[in-house]
Amino acid sequence: MKVLIIGMGKLGFQLADAFSIKDNDVTVMDQKQTALQKTTDQLDVMAYQHNGVELSSLNKASIGEMDLTIAVTDDDETNILIAFLAKRMGCNRSIARVRNPEYSRQSDFIKKEMEIDFIVNPEHSTAIEIKNYLMRDMVIHMEDFAQGRISLADVHVNSMCDIAGIKLKDLDIQEKVLVAAIAREGEVIIPYGDTMIEGTDVLYLIGESEDVASFSGRCGVPMEKKEINSVVILGGGRLGYYLAEYLTDLGISIKIIEQNRERCKYLAENFGNALIINGDGTDLSLLKEENVFDADALVCLTGLDEENLLLALLAKQFGMQHVISKVSRPNYIPIIEKLGVDVAINPVTITAGEILRYVLGGKVASISLLLGGAAEALELIIQPEAYVTRDQLQYLDLPKGIIIGAVLREGNVLIPDGMTHIQPGDRVVVFMLSSEMSNVEKYFLPPRRGLLSELWNNR
Amino acid sequence: MNYGIIAKVIGSLLIFEAAMFLPAFMAGVYYDETSSLVFLGVMLLTLVVGGILTRFTHSSRDIRAKEALIIVAGGWVAVSAFGALPFYLSGAIPSYMDAFFETVSGLTTTGATILHDIESLDKGILFWRSFTHWLGGMGILVLTLAVLPALGVGGFQIFKAETPGPVADKLAPKMKHTAVILYTAYFGITVLETVLLMFGGLSLYEALVHTFGTVGTGGFSTLNSSIGGYSSAYVQWVIAIFMVASGVNFSLYYAAYRKRLSDVFQNEELRFYLLIIITATMLIFFDLQWVFHGSVFTTLRHSFFQVASIMTTTGYATVDYEQWPVFSQSVLFFLMFVGGCAGSTGGSIKVIRLLVLVKLVKREIMHILHPRAMLPVKIHKRLLEADVIASVTSFYVLYLLIMAAGTMLLTLENIDIISAFSAVAATLGNIGPGFGFVGPTQNYADFSMPAKGLMSVLMLMGRLELFTVFILMTPDFWKERA
Repeated sequence: MKVLIIGMGKLGFQLADAFSIKDNDVTVMDQKQTALQKTTDQLDVMAYQHNGVELSSLNKASIGEMDLTIAVTDDDETNILIAFLAKRMGCNRSIARVRNPEYSRQSDFIKKEMEIDFIVNPEHSTAIEIKNYLMRDMVIHMEDFAQGRISLADVHVNSMCDIAGIKLKDLDIQEKVLVAAIAREGEVIIPYGDTMIEGTDVLYLIGESEDVASFSGRCGVPMEKKEINSVVILGGGRLGYYLAEYLTDLGISIKIIEQNRERCKYLAENFGNALIINGDGTDLSLLKEENVFDADALVCLTGLDEENLLLALLAKQFGMQHVISKVSRPNYIPIIEKLGVDVAINPVTITAGEILRYVLGGKVASISLLLGGAAEALELIIQPEAYVTRDQLQYLDLPKGIIIGAVLREGNVLIPDGMTHIQPGDRVVVFMLSSEMSNVEKYFLPPRRGLLSELWNNR
Repeated sequence: MNYGIIAKVIGSLLIFEAAMFLPAFMAGVYYDETSSLVFLGVMLLTLVVGGILTRFTHSSRDIRAKEALIIVAGGWVAVSAFGALPFYLSGAIPSYMDAFFETVSGLTTTGATILHDIESLDKGILFWRSFTHWLGGMGILVLTLAVLPALGVGGFQIFKAETPGPVADKLAPKMKHTAVILYTAYFGITVLETVLLMFGGLSLYEALVHTFGTVGTGGFSTLNSSIGGYSSAYVQWVIAIFMVASGVNFSLYYAAYRKRLSDVFQNEELRFYLLIIITATMLIFFDLQWVFHGSVFTTLRHSFFQVASIMTTTGYATVDYEQWPVFSQSVLFFLMFVGGCAGSTGGSIKVIRLLVLVKLVKREIMHILHPRAMLPVKIHKRLLEADVIASVTSFYVLYLLIMAAGTMLLTLENIDIISAFSAVAATLGNIGPGFGFVGPTQNYADFSMPAKGLMSVLMLMGRLELFTVFILMTPDFWKERA
């Protein structure tokens, strides 16, 4: 597939990274030399230093031969215009990032009238992700698949009964759960029987939702249901705005602390039910005065990663149960969860995941990028003739970086082993390292046929 | 530093080189020469050493800029060291240092030779000698990239370090495809020239050898009197035109193939390059006519051939230009400092750098006239970043400094200053013949061993754009910690 990515910010870079690992031809475009320098130094892609809205630069990148254009510059109007132009100039599909709430609300109209295939709004998607986390019953759930039947959870080993130092195959598991992956020192390992569990590991467990819950409960993860009635949001930017909108709809009482007076006024006019406070979120006396630490959850969404992190740590010190922090640089994430912050949310990764899911289309029901994009969990419905349906798993030659976590067959959840024979129609949750992403088509989707494969690919 | 991956890439490079001995071996077998057995032995040795090197384990596949520089510089030295073995072991060149000089001269497409009597050597050996031009022309590592499994990002770092010119651009998103495109163009030109030369009555062997020398802008011939040995005007014209074609940025051929003709015609470097060639040809043509009153067409052919040969750093000759009037000689002398276009097989300073320097001077003049004017330096309607300009000017300064140092060292040989200076210019610029002691009818055989060593280093430096080699000599480069 030929992909053109315009705008090499954090999102552009992560997308270029995700696409270029695979067998795709990736071309990137940006006006700034420095942004391109980093990309060409680290990725095998072609770079153009051009303004992406100019027809001549799109022509230079042979837009007519592209299968996909992704416009992720920092300007909404530019993105919409690029996606529109690309489509008119013969590109098969185009995606635009649009962050402005006013535009976002009419995105369906824009999509239809300007023939843009997909509009992604990072703040909106991130707000949904945070809302989902806050609204889930269990403490540990990370991700639901197959309409909530299958769960993927990350469990810190140090919070569990002493399983550190045991080999995986000796682990006493009564429930139907599988350790799909281990995050160790910022890297993801796909484990097998002989892998030793270490004290600092984070285990990714997959299985039927109740089983996952009971396994982690048995091993000392707190099981009490969380109840969230009041949330404090630090930072009233676009993300804070969307989140507040969702949470007030659910009847949760909201306090937003925002520094900018004008913004506060705007927020106050828009949210009748939320309490808007104009002040500096890093001011401890203000936080105490407003009883911030007595709320059920704190969400730090200021523009600075460092500020978000330090405030989240501070809140933990004061004994808050649920603290979520926005972190835009993926390389911080491994250390953050070590520090005790419950969840570090990275809008870039979430958005990249959303775009990938769209690009893979109906073939993939759900995809999440884990650990800043190092690993992915995919939900697929197996089609007839796919490679995995050929034989029992033990006889198939699947790469080491891919593990089938769970299978939903006729309403029952199975944890597959070597004897399992995947059938067409099964819903499977596949856990894999991002570097194996290119193999998804090869193993899980129906084979392409000879010369027609090009057509299939360019569909 | 990731030494494992360095060993591994150089190892695969050697395995690749082992395969490249095959054509020379076959030529030797065809002409029924015993020296062809030497190729078998060398092939085996290179294969074994390469095989051992590829066994090295490495922590990750990452090739960063530092590793790429060592791979490129080390790769060239390793390939030259093994490439010299056939000359040495077959007895064609009795001293290993001489054989190494000859191989470096071949791979860097210099064409400076230490051989007195070329025609007496075996055909297989001479084939290998010229084939090194073809291998080195577009970059032996780039060629390996086209064949090897993808090296990913590391590939681009290597490409950047090996490709002539201040900025290296990919032609396709994947490095491997870029290498394939470049070599397809290179291969196409090679086939075309070989066929055209065969129409001129050359045997396949002779046509191939001279094509390698031309498209690689090298200059090794099988005749003692170079191209002058072929009296056919047709052959001389074909070679002259292909020399000019090989000095053009190869990505322009791809642009032409993609029907982006405006990119080709609007290319400022190409225009400047052709302008220099035409002007120099005309100057020499009128000078020669003024002095000798010869046939118009013959004079035009000889002046064009010599200009094309020196300018593109090939080094073939049809006449002894040292018999020419001094004005013509001085025109040729200064052409030694121009070279081909960026991304071509030509050496020396490169037209694009000269173009930037000319524009800088022009800007300075404008700046004195209009002290408050905003005067950006643009090439191809794009603003040149300050660091690109800085890299061009510092390249130029370093080039002059190396010239000065090299000339001083060579004068220790007790030769005149013009000979020493032109020998340095001819090796550093990958040209081949110079003036005086190293003129077109002379050779490099009489230099002492240290001088040959020095000139081998100069050739490698010139081919790898100075900095790639120079940076390895700085202590900072080898510091592991910040």
